[in-house]
Amino acid sequence: MKHRLFPVVFFILLVLSGCLSAPPSGGGPAAEEGPAVRQFFAMDTLMSVSVYGPQGEAAVQEAWEVLTGLDRLLSRTSPDSEISALNAHAGDGSWVPLSPETAELLSFARQTAEDLPGAFDCTIAPVMDAWGFGGEDRHVPDAAALSARLALVDSGRLSLDLEAPAGRLEVPGMAVDLGAAAKGYAAGLAAQAVLEAGGESALLDLGRNITVLGEGPSGPSWRVAVKDPQDMERHLGVLSMRDQTASTSGGYERYFEENGVRYHHIIDPKTGYPAESGLLSVTVVSENPALADVLSTALFVAGRDEALSLWRSRTDFELVLCGADGVVTVTEGLEFDFRGEDNGYTCQTARR
Amino acid sequence: MGTPARPPAAERTRPAWGDGAAVLLVVLAAAALFFSLLPPQGNFLTAQVVLNGEVLGEYPLDALEEPVLLPLDGAPWPITLELTPEGVRVLESACPGQDCVHGGWVRRAGGRIICLPNRLVVSLRGSGGASEEFDAVTG
Repeated sequence: MKHRLFPVVFFILLVLSGCLSAPPSGGGPAAEEGPAVRQFFAMDTLMSVSVYGPQGEAAVQEAWEVLTGLDRLLSRTSPDSEISALNAHAGDGSWVPLSPETAELLSFARQTAEDLPGAFDCTIAPVMDAWGFGGEDRHVPDAAALSARLALVDSGRLSLDLEAPAGRLEVPGMAVDLGAAAKGYAAGLAAQAVLEAGGESALLDLGRNITVLGEGPSGPSWRVAVKDPQDMERHLGVLSMRDQTASTSGGYERYFEENGVRYHHIIDPKTGYPAESGLLSVTVVSENPALADVLSTALFVAGRDEALSLWRSRTDFELVLCGADGVVTVTEGLEFDFRGEDNGYTCQTARR
Repeated sequence: MGTPARPPAAERTRPAWGDGAAVLLVVLAAAALFFSLLPPQGNFLTAQVVLNGEVLGEYPLDALEEPVLLPLDGAPWPITLELTPEGVRVLESACPGQDCVHGGWVRRAGGRIICLPNRLVVSLRGSGGASEEFDAVTG
């Protein structure tokens, strides 16, 4: 009997140790060691860069330098930034020297305004200021003052010389705000820096604007949850992503209330008032981080029909649209694990 | 010759009492090992409070017996956190925007509160949270 007990004991211990040490869900190569991580504030948001692999620390450093460098160029609140200089010279006829990065992003933003007229305009800053968003006193502006500010919103009057490079705002009082486009553009350059530094897989969380590279820590894809715009602790579902960006816009995080009415910070450039398109949130997934960022804002303003119409005309992005009607629309190119039924949502798939 | 000798243990066809006790002992030891190595279960939440890059403290919420108000000295805009065994929130803040107050309670591991004007990050860590089911959150 003694000789038969040894294998039994050995087997039990082996099984137990195997059960306890097995990774919970497979575990990709990235899970073998922890990531290098840096968390910091930039571009008026909290950013976190995590990079796996032996070059993680160097890659994180490179990404941090890119992101903080762009913050210095693109901030509207920093008096020394290129955007502040551009705004300060609005209407005086002078060309303001720009870095290639600032000029490229302004050109991209201006093109988006042409592609989606009325849904996005990077010269919305005077109207944002009238509402107090970005400042210390949020309030409903006087209608006459708002109308005067709205007349200044026209990115067609933003002139760019991409060879110099330089820019000029043609009308006094005009001002650029790149808050709806800068993080995505920055994510693209930071991701490029991570790869060039030898980072193998990475997560760039720029204020919940998520860019993933390579394999995830627990499998070949990254699992990115989409927040429920009506319950910050729940989720509409989980995206499976690889080498993509997911950017979400909604009016549920930055807002104020006045006389019992809630006003959020995503302004419709057609009206000057917070957008009311029937959408609670828009998530755009794309291999182009800048496109994902700017489209999430523009399509939140545009609404479901226009968003799906644009999606059907292109192949470079996918969508999760959460409507105030309780319908979550997911375009067919996404791998999306819907989890919103307990929150009262229904899910429909949009097809081309 | 007298009484025949007992056969050796390896040749017995029926287990003796000692064999049963040994098996029982092994099973009990294995069970004890199993449970001692299991990861902790339940809602063991810890709130980490970081102000302008400096960790001000880590607060195990399950150790609280009643709500605790935590004013943050050194914050540019006066701000007070409320900690309970279930979660944490910004009770009040003098910051412009009040986005941190609007965010309400955070009760799950992986959740966080940010006050941009104060450069404050409150993160909930622990087991049993939905954060174990995904790598990041957009929105």
